[in-house]
Amino acid sequence: MPRSSPALASNSAFIMHVHKYISSFAIALLAVPLACTLPSRIAAQQAAQAKPNPDSSPAFKPFLDRVRAYSNVHKAAASGLPGGKPTDLPEVITARQLALARKIREARPDAKRGDIFSEDSAEAFRNVIASQFAGPEGQKARTTIRQGSPLPDLHLKVNETYPAGTPFTTVPPALLLKLPKLPDSLSYCIVGPDFVLLDVEANLVVDFIPDVIPKSLEAQ
Amino acid sequence: MKTRPLFVILLLAISLVVARADQFRFPLVSGSARFAVIGDTGTGEAPQYELAREMVTARGIFPFDFVLMLGDNIYGASRPKDYEQKFELPYKPLLDAGVKFYASLGNHDNPNERMYKLFNMNGANYYTFKKGNARFFALDSDYMDAKQLAWLENELKSAGDQDWKICYFHHPLYSSGRMHGSAIELRSLLEPLFVKYGVNVVFAGHDHVYERVRPQKGIYYFTEGSSGQLRAGGLKHTELTEKGFDSDRAFMLVEIAGDQLHFETLSRGGQQVDSGTLPRLSVATK
Repeated sequence: MPRSSPALASNSAFIMHVHKYISSFAIALLAVPLACTLPSRIAAQQAAQAKPNPDSSPAFKPFLDRVRAYSNVHKAAASGLPGGKPTDLPEVITARQLALARKIREARPDAKRGDIFSEDSAEAFRNVIASQFAGPEGQKARTTIRQGSPLPDLHLKVNETYPAGTPFTTVPPALLLKLPKLPDSLSYCIVGPDFVLLDVEANLVVDFIPDVIPKSLEAQ
Repeated sequence: MKTRPLFVILLLAISLVVARADQFRFPLVSGSARFAVIGDTGTGEAPQYELAREMVTARGIFPFDFVLMLGDNIYGASRPKDYEQKFELPYKPLLDAGVKFYASLGNHDNPNERMYKLFNMNGANYYTFKKGNARFFALDSDYMDAKQLAWLENELKSAGDQDWKICYFHHPLYSSGRMHGSAIELRSLLEPLFVKYGVNVVFAGHDHVYERVRPQKGIYYFTEGSSGQLRAGGLKHTELTEKGFDSDRAFMLVEIAGDQLHFETLSRGGQQVDSGTLPRLSVATK
């Protein structure tokens, strides 16, 4: 077996030393720009992971504008009506609810589907709802609806009263967190396959998006 | 001898009272929080009235001051006569005696029930109040939005660690009920807050059974959804179940004194179906 000469060994050591130096230099060259861009990359990731605020989303702006306009109608209708404060007389509560519904109907006699969930924002609602039921959290949302009295055969109309004695289907809380906040007098509601905007004080359907909830959710 | 039957009746009455008194093992500490818990009550049917009468009897021995209502307070329509038949009449003796009812809303309740003074909600779907050394949080589990969650976190935080923290609402976070079971999505939002801010006890209804759940992350969970409605055989008795009862209607009696919670669950017929004394688990213990 040939043995390597001392000169050859010395050359090899030199080449390895140079190689190591070049490698370190290359790593350093790569690392500098990486280090410079790292904070902005982390920030971008954090921004992507941060919960979007639906109240400031441009997609929901037309909807929120219309909700504000409806709230003004509600306030005008409610002003001058008796009640509105806690009372031990149920007849006062019931009478106010009925009178409020009547006055709101009178104020918007031609109200129709899409007046509040206008086409430009209805699409945003459809996307959020679809992703909520389809994504990894989808099973949880479907379970929430099944546990909370689904109403598969019920279809409501605008300006119609929510039917007396009909239970409310639980709106999946994770879905609520992704939707714009509403004034206290309004709430989102799930009725069969439809997504409904309900005036809870007047017990009145304000608007709805049809056929947006998966139909596979059957009543128990 | 006319006095003999009277004597026998008197003897029977005394023995009944003595037997009942023996059944109740509450310390009745001065200043303690004493209350009853009922859920899914508002049917207006005979069993609701019978259970209400049993509550009146129980109050003769355990004088509770207020009642927590876990939702579905008025089933069906909510006309004035519904408030009367499904709430005012069955609980009239308690209302007349000054017992206060603190309601939470269930999926069968008209949200305008919050305006009904006898439910003590003061116009709000969710609210808090204090009795003795216990702070109560009534939540609206039908509509757990960002606003309510922010309110809850703020209230739990500002309540400090001195008092018991008791949350109650309609949908159970842990339940072995066959009909509904655990509200898992709601749990994923509420439980982290409960653990972080040291909630001690949670009461819920919705499943028409009684169940005491094994403590979860240091929190005691009770389901009491059978004070008016009943789903006979509706409990599966799972690994969650510490004690369950699903063959008749039931209600709970609770006293919180110092660091102990004493409770007793009674059936419509007055039989004790569960009882115990639970220590308050400190935040550090959790």
